Amino acid sequence: MARTSEGSTAAIAVMALKNLNRQKKRSILLGGAIAFGVLIIMVIDGFAGAFMQNVSENVADIAAGHIFVSGSVQSDSGKTFSVIRDDSILTQVIKDTRIPSLFISKRSVARGTIIFESKQAQISVQGVDFSSEHYLTSRLIISQGSFAAMSNPQGLILSEQTARKLNVQVGDRLILQLTTVTGQQNVGDMTLVATTPDTGFVSDLSAYANLSYVNELLNLEAGEYQTLGIYLPSLSGMDRYADALYAELKTKANVKERTKTSAVGGFGMGGFFGDTASVGTWTGVRYSVTTLDDMLSSVKQIVGVLNSVSFGILVVLFVIIMVGILNTFRMTMFERIREIGTMRAIGMQRGQVRNLFLLEALFLAIAGMLVGIALAALVMGILSLFNLGVDSPLFMILRKGHFSFKVPLGRGLMNVFIIAILTLCAAYLPARSAARLEPAQALRTTK
Amino acid sequence: MGVLKNASVVLITLAALCAAPLWADTPPATDTPNFTAILNAVDGNGDFAKQDYSAVLTIVTQKPNEKDTLLQVKLFRRDLHDQMVWIMQKPEAQKGQGFLKVDENIWMYDPESGKFSHSTMKEQIQDSKAKSSDLKRTSYVNDYDIATTAEGMLGKYPVWVITLKAKNDEVSYQSVRLSIRKDKPLVLKEEDFSVSARLMRTVIFPPTYIEIAGKSVPSQTLITDELNKGEKSAMTISDVSVATLPDSTFSKAFLNQSSK
Repeated sequence: MARTSEGSTAAIAVMALKNLNRQKKRSILLGGAIAFGVLIIMVIDGFAGAFMQNVSENVADIAAGHIFVSGSVQSDSGKTFSVIRDDSILTQVIKDTRIPSLFISKRSVARGTIIFESKQAQISVQGVDFSSEHYLTSRLIISQGSFAAMSNPQGLILSEQTARKLNVQVGDRLILQLTTVTGQQNVGDMTLVATTPDTGFVSDLSAYANLSYVNELLNLEAGEYQTLGIYLPSLSGMDRYADALYAELKTKANVKERTKTSAVGGFGMGGFFGDTASVGTWTGVRYSVTTLDDMLSSVKQIVGVLNSVSFGILVVLFVIIMVGILNTFRMTMFERIREIGTMRAIGMQRGQVRNLFLLEALFLAIAGMLVGIALAALVMGILSLFNLGVDSPLFMILRKGHFSFKVPLGRGLMNVFIIAILTLCAAYLPARSAARLEPAQALRTTK
Repeated sequence: MGVLKNASVVLITLAALCAAPLWADTPPATDTPNFTAILNAVDGNGDFAKQDYSAVLTIVTQKPNEKDTLLQVKLFRRDLHDQMVWIMQKPEAQKGQGFLKVDENIWMYDPESGKFSHSTMKEQIQDSKAKSSDLKRTSYVNDYDIATTAEGMLGKYPVWVITLKAKNDEVSYQSVRLSIRKDKPLVLKEEDFSVSARLMRTVIFPPTYIEIAGKSVPSQTLITDELNKGEKSAMTISDVSVATLPDSTFSKAFLNQSSK
C-alpha cells in the first residue's frame, strides 16, 4: 500500500515537472521572479554578513588590536588621566592567560589641533613605537614619503585627506596643539614625513608619530603608554580571551568592571586609547579591558538594520511574487479544468490533484532558488573582483579594497525555507480549488 | 545646536573676564617691590565673590579668510554660589539663546524649541577648545611661583615683567608672563606659554577702565592666538553693575522669560 502511495506521489511529481515543462514561458517568468528575489536577498545578506567582519578587521588594523587594556590614574586633586606606567603585571597576565596574539601594541594618543600656516584640523595622533610595531609598518600603505623618515623623532604620518585639508607637503613643518594628560596646554613641532591613502571617515585617525615624542607632548615618561592592544589571529574567541584576561588581571590589580557595552558611546574611535571614563576614586593604576566588539556596538546596530531591511525586502518582494503565483496558478487551473475533470474521472483523488499543483509550485520555487543562488554567487563574485582601493570612502566596509560577501548558513537556510513556504501558500488556494472540482462539472466546463 | 556651538566661545571669553586682572588697592611703592603682594592685589581685584556682577560683553572674533563674527551676551554672575547666566543678544539669529551654570551643572536654552539641554562643565570642556582653567578664576599666587622679574616699558608705561611658573601640572599654562604697571598693580599684557615653552596666546588689556565698587575693570581685552596666525578676539565690556541681583536670575525660568 505504501509502495503504491509512493509510486503515485512519484507519478504526480513527474506529472508536475511535465506540466512546468509544458508551459515553459510561464514557468520561466515565475521562476525568474523568484530567482530575482533570491538574488537580491542573498546579495544584501551576503553584504550584511561580511560588513561586521570587515569593519572589525579594518578597525583592528587601525587600532592595532582586538583586545585593549588601558590604564587610568587619579591625581591628588582627583583628576583622572590615562597612563600605564609599569606593565610588568599586565605582561605577566597576558603570558599566563596564553592569549594567542600575533603582536602586542603599546600606544599613546595625542588628540588636538594640527596647524599649518592658517589652516587647521582636529586630529588624533597615535604614538607608535616603530621599532617594535612591525605589523603596522608591513600593513600601512605609504603614498608619499617613507617609513624610514620616522627616524626623525618629530616625524608625522598623515592621511592624504588631512594633508590636503592643511595644504601641506611631505617635508613641511606643522604645529600640534594639544593638552597634556593632566590638562595643560602644550604645543609640538612636527615634520610631515609621509602620507597614507585616504581611509574614508577614519582618515583623521590615521596619523602616526613616534611614541616617545607623543609621550613627551602628553607629559608622560619614557616607557609609559596609554593603551596596550592585543592583536589576535582572528576575530573568533575575542570575548573569551578578553574575559580570561579580565578575570586574571582582576586577581592581581585594580580593574574596572567589564560591562561589555560600548565604553565610548558606539563607534567612538577616540576611545581606543586612553579611555578615562571613571567612577569613584582609587590609587595607583586602574585597568580597563575592552574589545572591538564592545566598541563597535553601533556597527552591530547597522548590521541589525541591514538584516531588518533585507527581511523587509524579502517579505515585500515575495508578497508581490505570491500574488503573481496565485494569479498564474488560478489561470492554470481554469486552463486545465477539463484535464482535471478527466483525471478525477479516471480515479485521481482530490488530495492528489492538490498535491500536483503544490508540487508544481514547489519545483518552481526550488528551481527559482537554485538559479537565484547561482546568480547571487555570480554577482557577488563579480562585485568582489573590483578593487576599489584603500583610498575608497568605503574602505572600512571593504576587505583589502574589495567588496566581500558572507551569507551566514542559518540565515540562508531560513530564507530558502521562507521562500518555499510563501510559494506553497500562494499556490495553495488555486490547488485547493482545483482539488474541490467535481469531475462531471469540470468535464462539462468549456473555456 | 547653536547654543552649544557658541557656549565654548562665550565660556572662554568669560573666562578671560574672570581672569581679567582688575585693580583696587595700590600697594605701597618701594624700590624693591614685593611681587607676591602685587600678584595678590591682582588676584584680589578680579574677585567678585562678595557681590553680584552683571555686564554686557561684546566679542568680535577675526579669523583669516573668514568674515568677522560678532557675539554679544548679557552676563550675570554670583561667584559666591558659583552661579552664572548669560543670554545671547547678538547675532540676531541666536538672540535669546541662554546658558545657566550652577556649580558643575549647565543648562542651555534654545528659544526656538523652548527646550533646555542639560550638560556638565566636564562635558563642555571635552567638546570644546576651552581650557580647564578658562572655566574658573585664575589665582596667580595659588597656581604659580614667581620665576623671574624684570623692568620694562610697554608703550608709555613702565612695567614689571613677571614670569610665573606653574606650581602643579594641572593649570592650563605652564608659564605665564605678566606685564604689570609700576604705578598700580594693573596687568597690561599677559603672555601664556605651553609646557614646551611656546607662546600660545597674548592677552592685551588696554588701559581704559570702568571704575566700579573700588575696582578697575578693563573695558577692552584683546586676545591674540599666537599659534593660529591671524586669529584674534576683541572683547568689550559695558553696562557693568555690582547691584544685587534677584535670586530668580539664576533659574531656568529667567532664561525662558528673557528670551521673549
